[in-house]
Amino acid sequence: MRREDETDETSVFRRVVLKNASPYHYMKICLVLDDESTKLSAVDLKLFILTGLKNLFGEVGAAISFDLLKYDEDTLSGLLRVPSRSLVKLWSSLTLLGFYQNQACAFRVLQVSPYLLSLTGNSRELKLD
Amino acid sequence: MTTDLDQNPRSLLVSERSSFRDLKNRISSQVEQLHLNYKVSLLLPEYSFDRSVPRTRIDEDNCVSLTPKGHLTLSLDKDSFEVLGVEGKPSRFNHRVKKRFVVSVDLTDSCMAPGGRGYLRLLAGLKSRLRLKMDFLLSHHPGGGASLQTLLSRHDWSEHRPEVSRHTLTHLSCPALLTSDLLSCDPHSFLEWLGAAHAHISCGNTSSSFLSSLVCPEPKTALSRALSVSVCGLLLPQDIHRLLQQIRVYLEESHLESWACLTVHGFVDSPVSWGANEHGVLRGGENFYSLLMFHDDVYYLHQATGAHDTCPP
Amino acid sequence: MSVFMDLNLSFCADKSRLRSLIETAAHLGFSTVAVNYTFEPTAKKKQEIPAPMPITDLMDQLPVVQGRSRPIRVLNRLTVVMSDSSHFRPTAPEYRRFDLLAVQPTSEKLFHVACMTLDIDIICITVTEKLPFFFKRAPINGAVERGVMFEVSYAAAIRDATMRRYTIANATSLMETCKGKNVILSSAAEKPLELRGPYDITNLGLLFGLSDGDSKEAVSSTCRSAVLHAETRWTASGIIRTTKTCSVTPIQQEAPPEESDAPAAKKAKLEDE
Repeated sequence: MRREDETDETSVFRRVVLKNASPYHYMKICLVLDDESTKLSAVDLKLFILTGLKNLFGEVGAAISFDLLKYDEDTLSGLLRVPSRSLVKLWSSLTLLGFYQNQACAFRVLQVSPYLLSLTGNSRELKLD
Repeated sequence: MTTDLDQNPRSLLVSERSSFRDLKNRISSQVEQLHLNYKVSLLLPEYSFDRSVPRTRIDEDNCVSLTPKGHLTLSLDKDSFEVLGVEGKPSRFNHRVKKRFVVSVDLTDSCMAPGGRGYLRLLAGLKSRLRLKMDFLLSHHPGGGASLQTLLSRHDWSEHRPEVSRHTLTHLSCPALLTSDLLSCDPHSFLEWLGAAHAHISCGNTSSSFLSSLVCPEPKTALSRALSVSVCGLLLPQDIHRLLQQIRVYLEESHLESWACLTVHGFVDSPVSWGANEHGVLRGGENFYSLLMFHDDVYYLHQATGAHDTCPP
Repeated sequence: MSVFMDLNLSFCADKSRLRSLIETAAHLGFSTVAVNYTFEPTAKKKQEIPAPMPITDLMDQLPVVQGRSRPIRVLNRLTVVMSDSSHFRPTAPEYRRFDLLAVQPTSEKLFHVACMTLDIDIICITVTEKLPFFFKRAPINGAVERGVMFEVSYAAAIRDATMRRYTIANATSLMETCKGKNVILSSAAEKPLELRGPYDITNLGLLFGLSDGDSKEAVSSTCRSAVLHAETRWTASGIIRTTKTCSVTPIQQEAPPEESDAPAAKKAKLEDE
């Protein structure tokens, strides 16, 4: 899916248009638990997400290699990286996860993008002082 | 009907390499084209700090923008569009049925002068029929103060300063060969690394790490320190131009392997992006560009968009 | 696209829980929600159709929609669970107290009746058990023609693994027949943690067999069509409707707002243009 637009060997100018070529998608997520005092380590969170994938998509789901790029234990929020072709599966399994160790929970997906950079500049988060 | 779960909405990344010295370089027009900038982030290696739109959602609500060239764009739902009674065209991102319409008005046109036919018609539509009420974010540049004062005197307004944040990053791994001749990694990996740097994500993993296998593109080097500065607010192309000039001066003064990377994020809910082209939100609405500059005036420009957008210039 | 809506928040007598449901929906970015009262008539004794609780009894001030400055809009909806054709009484004055009218048919015959003749806005697709019949093209096309929507709700799929299987199976079976037309996705949530955000639901819709565009419309424009359909149902046969117009200034007298007067034949297709 790569298209060379113009190539001019004599000058330094070069332009490449990449369509749907992003290998990964990135998600900003936050876990909300019924009992807000529950603690979850990064490893706990990753294992929990893996169970969700396995519940919904079986072994194929459990084989999806996603990354927990960043995690804040105090707010239970973090950034995930997932191969683009597995985004729909990971996202839907997060959506359908309703219980963490028998207590009600919900994943709030705050932003999804094919670019990690976009997650650092979301104008919907703009707060006017 | 089955949906392929492996498919994602369209996204585009345009990667360009050129030089400020190249007479045909289009950087100033490209900077000019993204009018409504939300955030600017700058990454400077080996540097420590020592000196100093309407608020609605484009996929749900009516949105309005006005660009410095006098181009008014209203992105309206079907009802509002019909009530307004001004010529427009269906949104390019309509699905099945036409639910969203875009009205594009050139305010510099003669019939749009105060008192003109087009002006009266639009004003009547907006004031008495549609009665559209919106909060606007305005930005002014020096010299335009007087006309702005008269406008503001008739409305409730408050001043907001852009929010600046600075972080000094230490022990940052960074793609080696970040030089003007050759970008050692592909555009997506480069942007991922840049995003990780700005989001303070560690790249110090191995591919077998359990939590994260994010690694810095190889070959890599380590920077003892780098500066990440961000400014948030409504920022005009003029502001970006000024910043660009300052960065180029800084690069010229500094040592040989120096570089700087400037990222400009457009507003997610802006009705236009990349000039006067229609912009929308399917999931993300991202529109940003990232300019990697070197001391020898060569630069790499990466322009990225989401599903409801045109190809960047 | 229009604003995001969740046309099914389960009513519960516990006011504080209902309040937090509405608050969570507003926080997640829903601009309009409907509180759903389920009415399940049984053959044995006569039951009262519930009366909707005025929203002012519930909260003094409606919560503000996330990221916006306007409050959430709360509608009332009645869902009649039909196991017999006598369960739906078209002329019942009690129905008029609700903004939206839905039925949940439990047999193929009743599904056919609901699609072809009943004056309703929404047909609920069962998600808590295996579908007792196959969807046929004719009744589904009939419902699409009349502007009646099909609703798939997702909270049961969050609550229970078996229900999840039924939800996905019944939803995909519906999508294969209706081709993604006239589908709304809603929560049927009883607790705040069973609610999901509009973009999450859009993504979940892909799992049910909807396309990207249809899926997003299933939480926005299609819901709006259902609300408009309900509004026209209560007008005088859909022919005359009086609306308060804005104060008319001389300049626009020749072009009044085109609000009313949809001919009866066109009323169901009002949104299909």
